[in-house]
Amino acid sequence: MTDKPDPEILAGEYVLGLLDGEERRIFEARLLHDAVLDTAVARWEERLAPIDATANPVRPPDGLWPRIEQALTTRQGRELASSPAAALSERLGHWWNSLPLWRGMSLVGAAAVVLLAVGLGAALDRARRQPVMVAVLLTDTNVAAAVVNTFADGRVELLPLQDIDVPQGRALEIWTLWDRAVGPRSVGLIDRARAAPLRLDNLPLGNDQLFEITLEPASGSPTGRPTGPIIAKGLTARRL
Amino acid sequence: MAGDAARAAVVNIEQALAACAKGDKSALHCIYEQECPRMIGVAQRILRRRALAEEAVQDAFILIWRHAGRFDPERGAGLTWIYAILRNRAVSILRDERRVDPQEAPLAKEAASEEDDPETVISKLSDAKALRACLEALPEQRRGMVLLAFVQGLSHGEIAGRLGLPLGTIKSWIRRSLMALKECLG
Repeated sequence: MTDKPDPEILAGEYVLGLLDGEERRIFEARLLHDAVLDTAVARWEERLAPIDATANPVRPPDGLWPRIEQALTTRQGRELASSPAAALSERLGHWWNSLPLWRGMSLVGAAAVVLLAVGLGAALDRARRQPVMVAVLLTDTNVAAAVVNTFADGRVELLPLQDIDVPQGRALEIWTLWDRAVGPRSVGLIDRARAAPLRLDNLPLGNDQLFEITLEPASGSPTGRPTGPIIAKGLTARRL
Repeated sequence: MAGDAARAAVVNIEQALAACAKGDKSALHCIYEQECPRMIGVAQRILRRRALAEEAVQDAFILIWRHAGRFDPERGAGLTWIYAILRNRAVSILRDERRVDPQEAPLAKEAASEEDDPETVISKLSDAKALRACLEALPEQRRGMVLLAFVQGLSHGEIAGRLGLPLGTIKSWIRRSLMALKECLG
């Protein structure tokens, strides 16, 4: 389709759930700073709301509220535990794991020399250890957006291949999924497209394992599952 | 159901959301008590599987709790805001499922209940006379497409498959239906 739909109609398609993948991602990014579009969405939500009222009520299982209540508290705990400061002290041995450290260093003029030195160290280190498995993460339009490399020593890293538009107050969260019954697990959160280590810790890692990047609130998905649009995704494959 | 006597005290959702924003969990529980059964119903129409519907509802309540402070009463009703969050989660889960395992039949292919059939849904819109009249003003097949998308979460492609029509036709008919609905509802 070459004709550009009127924003009101686009908003209607969004509310109907008809925008898929990339379209939805772009639309949601626009919504954040386009008040006219957001108003159009709100109007469609109001217009169609009575349809939701026709759904038959289903008695919730007894365990549902306790699960929600528990999730509220444990997520709060997890969010605190995964704050950059906590992550830094937890993994001081791996300086490259720390984005705040990178940021801090770039602020200090004298750090330029240090940065060069550690950068060289990292390059040598990387040359010594070739990845065991690689996943190329593609966007909806099949553009390679990032690569995930996994190493024999258990290290996993994300290397972006192109810049990704991250709206203010949002971040990129990286997920892996090895078992649908377990669901996707968060393995990293970055404020913009840049190289980052992924924390797989004790999670399984194998061939054909899904990695994906979604757009989430700056502090990460509030639910512990992907909530935002998918930026890119791909499956791991063993190198020859 | 807690009985109609309890129902009489309808929760003011906007006030409950304001209380949630201040950290009052009992306010979230009031919303849950009142809306959870219908929320599962809405999610199940989209996701078919009960377990996934409950998961969507669980996620929605966590998001409601987290984002209650961002709710803007000027933008729309609290109830609408809550259901928009739920729909967004349900549609994400629906597309996730499809993405994760392309070999498995998509959820949307699982039989929908007759209750979720577009014409049945319209017949239940007795309290929303304007919306019902505007939907009924559309040709049956066209209003059907709008409802298959909204009620059952079908994509353009799935609607095309269901009705045996080309994708482009579905896209342009839905756009025209939206235009007509907008004109009709104002």
